[in-house]
Amino acid sequence: MSDIVIKAACWLGPQGFGNDQTGLRDWPTPLGEALRRGELEELRWSELFKSEAQRFARMDWLSRLGLMAVELLDVHFEAREAKDLEQTGVCVETAAGCLTSDAEFLRLPRPTVFSYTLPSTVIGEICIRHRFKGPMLCLISSGNSTRTAMDEAAAWLRDGSAKSCLCVSCEAVSPDAAALLPPDLALENTWQACALLLGRKSGDPRECALGNDTLTETCRHLCRATRRC
Amino acid sequence: MGASLETALSQPRAAVAGCGAISATGAGIGTLADALRDNRSALRAREAFAGKRYQTTVAGWVPEETIAQLAARDPEHADARAFLMADAALREAARNLPTVAAGRRALVLSTTKADILAMERVFHRQPCSRTAHRHILPRLLADDLAAAHQVRGPVQCVSAACISGLLALQQGASLIERGAADVVLVAGADIVSHFVLAGFTSLKSLDPEGCRPFDKSRTGLSLGEGAGAVALVRRDLLPSPVWTIAGWGSSNDANHLTGPSRDGSGLVLAINRALQRAAVNADGIDYLHAHGTGTLYNDNMESLALRAVFGENVPPCSSSKGIFGHTLGAAGVLETILCLLAAQANTLPGTPRLVECDPVAPQSMLLQPQPATRLRCMLKINSGFAGANAALVLRKEQA
Repeated sequence: MSDIVIKAACWLGPQGFGNDQTGLRDWPTPLGEALRRGELEELRWSELFKSEAQRFARMDWLSRLGLMAVELLDVHFEAREAKDLEQTGVCVETAAGCLTSDAEFLRLPRPTVFSYTLPSTVIGEICIRHRFKGPMLCLISSGNSTRTAMDEAAAWLRDGSAKSCLCVSCEAVSPDAAALLPPDLALENTWQACALLLGRKSGDPRECALGNDTLTETCRHLCRATRRC
Repeated sequence: MGASLETALSQPRAAVAGCGAISATGAGIGTLADALRDNRSALRAREAFAGKRYQTTVAGWVPEETIAQLAARDPEHADARAFLMADAALREAARNLPTVAAGRRALVLSTTKADILAMERVFHRQPCSRTAHRHILPRLLADDLAAAHQVRGPVQCVSAACISGLLALQQGASLIERGAADVVLVAGADIVSHFVLAGFTSLKSLDPEGCRPFDKSRTGLSLGEGAGAVALVRRDLLPSPVWTIAGWGSSNDANHLTGPSRDGSGLVLAINRALQRAAVNADGIDYLHAHGTGTLYNDNMESLALRAVFGENVPPCSSSKGIFGHTLGAAGVLETILCLLAAQANTLPGTPRLVECDPVAPQSMLLQPQPATRLRCMLKINSGFAGANAALVLRKEQA
């Protein structure tokens, strides 16, 4: 696919976490057991990262996972010039979106929860933390991961709308949220997040060609096979 | 950055083949055109929602008789309000489309909450059809609309707060420009419900009397519900003259979740990206349709952004939130339709409910509709929660 390449990839879910350099690692016990049970409140920023993430504690789980995924990429965005950040786009794919916050707001309406009853809020949180001001898009998928977010991000890179693009997939479905759905539409994963950074080929050894897999499959594959290119 | 002029002109542009609408003005784009001509507001209070401690029940409610008529025509979807409205708008928009294979037809849906009424019914353990229940998930609403409109090509569902509609139009145009489809049905739909009223009440962002965009004494927005649909077709499949989607751009403020950046710099980025993609200068815009919610911060931010892009020569501009309220995920689509209706009537729309213009607002803000002397290029802008900004350039093209 022309000169658009993957610059970095990461994945986190019940089975572990990691990126294309470190590979996937297991969660330490007993945290791993709690996370496999879907007890996301056990997953704190300090479990994965040393630096602070302001406002993390007040975010919904979709935003927390999206923010963690971008951090897990291990790309030093803070070192980039303002002009580059202005041309960094963010494209998010999610099936359940903000359903968990919707369920929480239905139970107890509060302004702090209402702010998170939009699936695109995760984009806002990512952009606020990293000062990204490029194009943005939030796509709602049907439950199975797709290539659409990658295709859209690649189109931005090709037509010059952006110089680099983050593709993020995240899901966080609480039991209350799952109870809102028809039984046969239960989403497969209760929680997971992954991210890719796309850009133009520059010769960096970490770069990798885009394949035909979906966003989630691509991330998981790249994180399992750490030196794959 | 941005496509070069040569590249932009060599690509098959997306042109508008038809529009459809369900809004507070009623069913059909004719009701919107009438409201536009009369500069009439369709905002009203609704007794069924009274007594719930909401800031107000004044909103752009779709008339119940309109919903009843739609339900009578389609009993299978009688309680699936989002589907009913979007489907009706799509049917109106798709009346005169060129015949293309189903695999070359695409659909893009924009919505913030899909069938939020169904979600409320399920939560409160009230009866809810399986169809409406499915539409709690926005993508399934998009899939069902695609099936109902013989779409076998790409289907996308965009949910990005108040810029969803403009992003959906952008995605539709992009699918055509990239050769992925020849016809793209773009629909935007959202419903005003207890959930939505409670949310905006909790943020204290509603004007109890109804919104007054860019007014000196504005105090907040009015919600609205409805659906808009625009049928986009590959430019060469339509006779001239046509309105094309000539350019688009989006950006993030990277500043605040629920408030706009105070200086409007994010919106400036989005506007400049759209102008650059359309290969048009700021002085080439003949009319500008603002987001104009009626909140203090949004209208201030927008005014600053317009001054930054256009200087003291902001083109004639207006807001239509006073007609049908802020329709959230449908806003970008319905407001683009309004621009196209105005162009058809050779009119510059007014700003219903605006009485005394805020000094910070552009001096070219239109209180009343005016005859248009020249309408070749229009700019539509929206901003929203999570720092989102979007802009779309519409251009009339001859042969």
